[in-house]
This record gives sequence, C-alpha cells and structure tokens, in this order.
Amino acid sequence: MSGEHHSSTISAQVRRVEALLEERGLLAPGEVDQRIDEFAAGGTPANGARVVARAWVDPGFRDRLLADANAALPEVGLSMAGGLQEQRLKVVANTADVHNVLVCTLCSCYPIALLGPSPSWYKSEAYRSRVVRDPRSVLAEFGVTVPEATGIAVWDASAESRYMVLPRRPQGTDDLDEAGLTALVTRRGLIGTALV
Amino acid sequence: MSRINDVGGMTGFPPVVEEPDEPRFHEDWEAHVFALNGALIKRGVYNLDEFRDAQERLPVAEFLGSSYYERWFAAITTLLAEKGVLTPEEMAP
Amino acid sequence: MTTTPFAPGTRVRTRTADPDGHTRLPRYARGVTGTVLEVAGHHPLADDRARGLDVPAQPVYHVRFRAADLFGSGEHTVTVELWHDHLEGPA
Repeated sequence: MSGEHHSSTISAQVRRVEALLEERGLLAPGEVDQRIDEFAAGGTPANGARVVARAWVDPGFRDRLLADANAALPEVGLSMAGGLQEQRLKVVANTADVHNVLVCTLCSCYPIALLGPSPSWYKSEAYRSRVVRDPRSVLAEFGVTVPEATGIAVWDASAESRYMVLPRRPQGTDDLDEAGLTALVTRRGLIGTALV
Repeated sequence: MSRINDVGGMTGFPPVVEEPDEPRFHEDWEAHVFALNGALIKRGVYNLDEFRDAQERLPVAEFLGSSYYERWFAAITTLLAEKGVLTPEEMAP
Repeated sequence: MTTTPFAPGTRVRTRTADPDGHTRLPRYARGVTGTVLEVAGHHPLADDRARGLDVPAQPVYHVRFRAADLFGSGEHTVTVELWHDHLEGPA
C-alpha cells in the first residue's frame, strides 16, 4: 500500500491532475495551496472544548446549545459555516443516564468545520462496523468503562447533520475557570470515546 | 446498493487502534487531494454525493487495498473522466 | 410539492429494498421499526443527488432504533439520520 516509491508516484500524479485542471481553467493558480492553508487555520478540537466549557459554566448557554447549536455557537465566536456549506450541528449531552458515541458507518462524516479533520481510527472500518453493534467493547478498547446503569446512545451521521458530544463536567473541578475547564476536554471526549 | 463502504454492524473487523499524536495529513499529497476535492465540488464539477458514490463504485479489491485518501483520489479521477474533463490517459500514473 | 413531516414520537419502519445505486440508508437499518426523535431540516434525497438529479427537498429525521431490533441483541440505542423517502410509516 505505502512505501516511498508508491508515495512519490501518487504525489506526482496528483500534481499532474492539478496542473491539467489549471490549464483547463478549473483551478486557479495557487488555489489548492490556499485551501490547504485555510484548512490548517480552520477547525480544531480546541473549538469544541471551548463550547463544552462554556456549557459547563453557563446553564443558559447549555440549554440554547442543545436546542439549536448553530444559533448558539456565535456566542463563543464559532460557526459551522467553514466547510463546503453550513451544516446543522446537533450537540448531544452525556448524563448519568446516557453516554453518547458518534460514528459515520457509511463514510466518515464529522464536524470538520468546527473540530478539524477526524482521527484515522474514526474513519476505520474497525470502528465504523463495530461501534454500532457493540459500543461497550469498542469503548473498552479506548479504556473507557461506562457503568451498566448508564445507557449508551450511538449516533450514526448518515445524512446532513453533524454531531458533537457534550461530556459531563468532572467532579472536583469547581475551582477551575472556563479556560481551565477548556483544557480538560479532549477530541475523544467530543466524539464519545472518552468520558471528557 | 449494499456496497463495500456500508460496514455498520459487520463482524470480523479487528480492535480499534488509535495513532498517538496523529498529524492532520500523513503526506503532502493527501492535503492536495483534500483541497482539490473541495475546489472541484465548490466549482460544481461534481457534488459531494457523486463523490461518495464514486468511492463506493470502486472495485472492491481496489477499495479495500487503498488508503483513505487513495480512495478519494481514485474517486476524483473517476469523476473527472466520466464528466469528460480529463481523459484516463492524461491522468494515468 | 411539500411533504408533511412525521411528528416526533411517530413510529416508522425503514424500507427493505436495496436501492439501485448510492443510498444513505445503511444496510443494518433496513426493514426495522424505530421512533422519530426530531425533524433535522429538509434536504434533497442524497440517493438522487448522487445520480445528478435536481430534486425537491424533503424532511430528514433523527430516527432512534433499539439495538435488539437492529442486531437481535444489545441494550443500547442507535440513532440514524434518514430522509422521508427511506421510511414507511406510521408503523
């Protein structure tokens, strides 16, 4: 599959297709590089962490976020408009009764505009095939144990909405300010394969 | 149709492995493929659903033997040929 | 032509047919009864867009299924996002 020879072959092939498309007027010179730069400066899990921390400290924001995430995101200076088109975001909250986990079984749908590119494991057949059928085993592979009394809700991003998990605020964090709370939240927490 | 991408609930796949400190892209050409696809969709050369469809139509053995962005590039070249934008010969490795 | 959406709480059954070509109705969720959680906007059917068709928007839903109904076992739920045309209902 990989290897240096293969890599240089496909790399040259991609450049050639780009050059041909420029010749045909379907790509502007420098357009690909510009898009790469914009993407690198775009979404990141830190955005999701900020949203979560605000929801932990501001119950009103939490309610608005869960009711209509697209309308609430501008309150923290964010939006879902950075991609090909603005997408609907649905935020699902973990509680004592339910732990949420996200997947796209058909391809790799993910809130890229907000969180940046997804990790490879999220795109893997192993994750996508198994988490809908046996989420507790997959969570265990990430070292996550959800109490038996807590139900698991899997969300398959099969259409136009993108999802983000709102983890539960860990105990013993009363002294932390919003920035301190933001630092606790991980990308896996936003997908549901970590508790925070 | 039930195609090779439609794996939800299938058994036989291995445990999930997380790559530590994974970069956004593993190789430079992957970033180019990502950006190229966005540019072509934005320009209306094809739409996102046609792009997904083109990946799903890849021969099963090629699909399974390809990395994530190799599938993307195969779908892009498939659609460029089908839409009459470039010929397979022009795009050949 | 506008489609009247199924209301939240409606029991719906997914289609069993394996459509010709691209579809966003996953195989594991075919021919199963679930519950509409909410309407998630209106969009042209992706199955049609993949064929290059210009079709009107229709309701899209979060539909929740019990794992036991999907796979024969499991205590969890799976919520799939489906277009109106993927559903037969009310079940």
